[in-house]
Formats: sequence, C-alpha cells, structure tokens
Amino acid sequence: MLAALRWLVFALFALLVNLPVIVTLVTSFKSPKEIAANPSLWIEAPTLENFASVLVPTDRLNLLGYLGNSLVVSLIGSGLALLLALPAAHAIARGKLGRQTLLPLVLNLRAVPLIIFAIPIYMGFQWLGLLDTRIGLGLVLTVVNLPLALVILVNALNELPVELDEAARIDGAANWQILTLILTPLVRPALVTAFIFGFVTAWNEFLFGLMLTTTRAVPVTVGASFFFASAGGGVQWGLAAAVMIAAALPPMLLGLLMYRQISRSLLAGAVKG
Amino acid sequence: MTGSRTEWTLLATPMVVFLLVFLGLPALVNLVYSVSEVSFETLRSPRLSGFGNYLAALADPAFWRASWFSFRFGLATAILECGIGLFLAVFLAPLLRARSWTIAILMMPLMVAPSLVGLMYRLVLHEFVGPVPFYLYALLGWSPSFLSGGAVFWTLVVVESLQWTPFAFLLFHMAYSAIPPELREAAVMDGAPPMALLRHVELPLMLPTLVIAFFIRFIDGFRVFDNVYTLVGAGPGGSTASLSIYIYESFFRQGAIGKAVAASVILFLAFFALLWSVNRLSTRRSTA
Repeated sequence: MLAALRWLVFALFALLVNLPVIVTLVTSFKSPKEIAANPSLWIEAPTLENFASVLVPTDRLNLLGYLGNSLVVSLIGSGLALLLALPAAHAIARGKLGRQTLLPLVLNLRAVPLIIFAIPIYMGFQWLGLLDTRIGLGLVLTVVNLPLALVILVNALNELPVELDEAARIDGAANWQILTLILTPLVRPALVTAFIFGFVTAWNEFLFGLMLTTTRAVPVTVGASFFFASAGGGVQWGLAAAVMIAAALPPMLLGLLMYRQISRSLLAGAVKG
Repeated sequence: MTGSRTEWTLLATPMVVFLLVFLGLPALVNLVYSVSEVSFETLRSPRLSGFGNYLAALADPAFWRASWFSFRFGLATAILECGIGLFLAVFLAPLLRARSWTIAILMMPLMVAPSLVGLMYRLVLHEFVGPVPFYLYALLGWSPSFLSGGAVFWTLVVVESLQWTPFAFLLFHMAYSAIPPELREAAVMDGAPPMALLRHVELPLMLPTLVIAFFIRFIDGFRVFDNVYTLVGAGPGGSTASLSIYIYESFFRQGAIGKAVAASVILFLAFFALLWSVNRLSTRRSTA
C-alpha cells in the first residue's frame, strides 16, 4: 500500500518537474494545424516537419550555427577551466598554498551574481574586439566553470596518498612532472566529471551569451529565444518547440548517461562550500 | 614541506592571473566608473564625479522594487524547494534505494538551461496552445492568467521551484542515506515511532545539510535572471525585474552606465558582507 503510494508520488512529481520538456517534445512533433486545434498532450498525427524545416538556415535564423557555437564555447569553457585549475589544485592540495585565502575566495565566487562583472567585461571586450566572438564567450565561460573545477580537483588530489609524490621526488621528479606523469592519470575520473559538468554548465549559460554576442557567436540558449521574436505573425510554436528540444537535448543526454558523476559534482560544490 | 614555495606558486599562477584579469580588473573598473560621470560616448575618459551614481541608484524606486523582488523570490523559492525536497527525500527513500534510476528521472530538470525552461513555459502556459490552460478549462471550466498582474510572481516562483527542487532533494537524499543504520536501529529498539525517529534522530543529523541547501537556494533565487527574463522579461512596469535584470536593463536598455555600475557595486558589497559572515560563522563552528 505504502509502496504503491510512493510510486504514485514519484510518478506525479517526475511528471510535474519534467512537464516543460514533455510539453515541448510533444509539441515539436505536431503540425502547425494540429498545434492550433489540439493543445493536449496527445499527438493525433506525428510529423517531423518542424525538425526538417528548422534545420534549414534562413538569413535571420541559423539553428545549426547556434549549436556549433554552443559546442565550441562549451569545449573552450570546460577545457580551459581544467587546464588552469589542475596545476592550481595541485599547489593547493600538495603545496598547501592558499588554503586560507585563495581556495575560499575562489569557492565563494560560485555564490556571487555574475552580473556584477558583466558590464566591465562587456566594455573590455568591446575595446579588445572580443565581442561576438566564440573565443571571447569561451573565456568568460571558463571563469564561470573555474570554481567548481577547482573544488572537484582539490578533493580528488587530497584523496591520493602523499607517498606517491614522495617516492617520485626521491627519484628526482620535479613538481610539474609529478603532476603530469603520476597524479593526472590517477585523477582522470575527476577530470572527466569536471569536464562533463563544466560542459553542461557552459552549454546552459544564458546571461553572457545574451550580453556578449549578437550574430556570429550566438549560443543556442540565446538563439532559441530568437525564434520567439519572429518578425510578425506571432510565434511559430512547432518550430520553436523543435529548436528548444535540439538545444536541451545534448545536456539532457549527458545527464542521463552520467547522472551519478553529475550529481556528485553538483553536491561537491555544495558540501565544500 | 615538499618542493620550494616558488615552484608551487608558479603552478597556481596561471589561474590566479586569469581570475585577476576577468574578475579583479572588472571589479576595479566598476569602482572607478561608479564614481564617474560616464556615457557610451565617453567610455574611455570617465570623469570623476563623486557619489552621484550611488545616490541615483539608491533614489531610484525601481532599484528598491528589484531588491525587494529578488529577496522575496529567493526566500519563497528556497522555502518551497527545501520543503518539498526534504519530503521527497525522506518519503521516497526506500524507492530510491531499490531503484536508483528514479534519481536520474528526478534530476533531469537540472540539466535543462533555465533560459530554455522559461521559454518552454511560454508554450506550457499559453492561453490558446498551452496544455495547462487547456486541461484546466476542460476539467474546471476556468484557467487563471498565469503571467498577468498578481499571479505572475507566484507563477515565476513555481517555475523556478519545479526546476530546482531536485537540487535540494539530491542533497537531502545524500544526507539521509549517510545516516548510520545503527542510529536508526537503536532508536527503533528503544521503541521510537517513525515520526519520533525523524524528529529526534534524522532531522537533527540532517540539519547542517538543510542550512546549506537553504542558503544555496536562497542565493540562486536572489540572483535569478535567465528564466524570469525569457518568460516575462522585466514585466509590466518592472514588476518582475530581479536585481540582475534591473542592472542589465539599466545598462543595455537605458544606457544608464553609472547607475548600473553603482548598483553592481552595491550588490557586490552586499554579497561580500553576506558571504564573509557566513564563512566566519561556519569556520567558528567547525573550530569550536
């Protein structure tokens, strides 16, 4: 009895929290005519025409371009964050560097509203010609990802025995050699986790994409909103739904495949805060 | 000590320099511009002008309305998310333990960009093509206008909470499963009914997690931008502008650079004070 009630509560809640995605998915398979006539969650005549027409770029909207931009900026944002965080994490975990100041300072960055830094970054980018470039947006997403990447890597390095370093040092290895040759292979799971999580975070970022890009480097979160501001005639819901599904799918797939790692990194940030 | 200090410093330098360029420098620019007279034409030669920008921001009713919106929004969403998340983590515990894939289903919303969720709700709640009004009409013959006047604040609270309750839930689920089984067994041996077990054993053990989750969710709600912006924007008369949206609109829509930057600095100081005191409290507790 109680077990059945649990399943019921689970099903209800699962439906409720996932409702926007479910509704959008259903709508994306309906023809424009059916969307107007049948708002229910049932599809009378499923069609792929929305997806087919949304993939064809127009002079104003270019879904594949937005997806490509998101892919590139997310790869920069998660990869560069790891590249910067790994040696720093090594210095913090093993060299006992900045445990009182640097680490807490960077950790607290996760709680600071990033809008605070947005205006000067916008002005600086304008000056440097980085506005509306993928490298510019990728650099900012690196900032967004750095704090959590650092926590995850410091935690992972702390779990490795110090004897590993000592043995290598006796053999004459320098710090950077210990890091690259011995420790990095051992923290590979943590690197993968931090990379995936950073990728998802960067893919889903909106504020900086909105501020720093206009045409060439627009990520898909911002590009999706273009389909709602269509020129005259109101929103074409079928197309908009197909775009949103395409934009939401990559991180959702990663989430389903790696939900253990992702939930762990979500929590790593929370617990060590 | 192993290795020389310079060697360690060198390893941390790239990250520190990067953060200084992207966060330290902007913070400094904020400070300078906030006490300057500046427009898009005079960006590179700001003229020092004292605290006029701060006074302009503090005298702007929209600034206070946005602060009040952010505060109420953060509080309401944090309470809802932690309340429902706690209930689910405890009530569903046996189910989650037996079938861990259920966790993956519940955490799906965390993977979707909040800006997309805001857009999706335009569809979900749409008068003519949205399923929610459709089913409400079919079942009750009535549907509220979710995005107008009095309802919009609570619509936004529900939208945010439905997406982020899974976060609180995940934290509580982990804390709940980390409670040593011996403690539960001992309490049950002593004849404690389930409610007493929850109230006197489990909840006290989960209290630190509850506090952390509430704090994280409050801050996230307070600084909200994406989903509110894509669903309703600043709303009629700025009624749904959070502080983040207020700063964004002051800068990009009104070109009021000085005021926007001053508001950024005020927000920064408020967060600095908040985080500093929270950190002090937590370190004092852990060393005590």
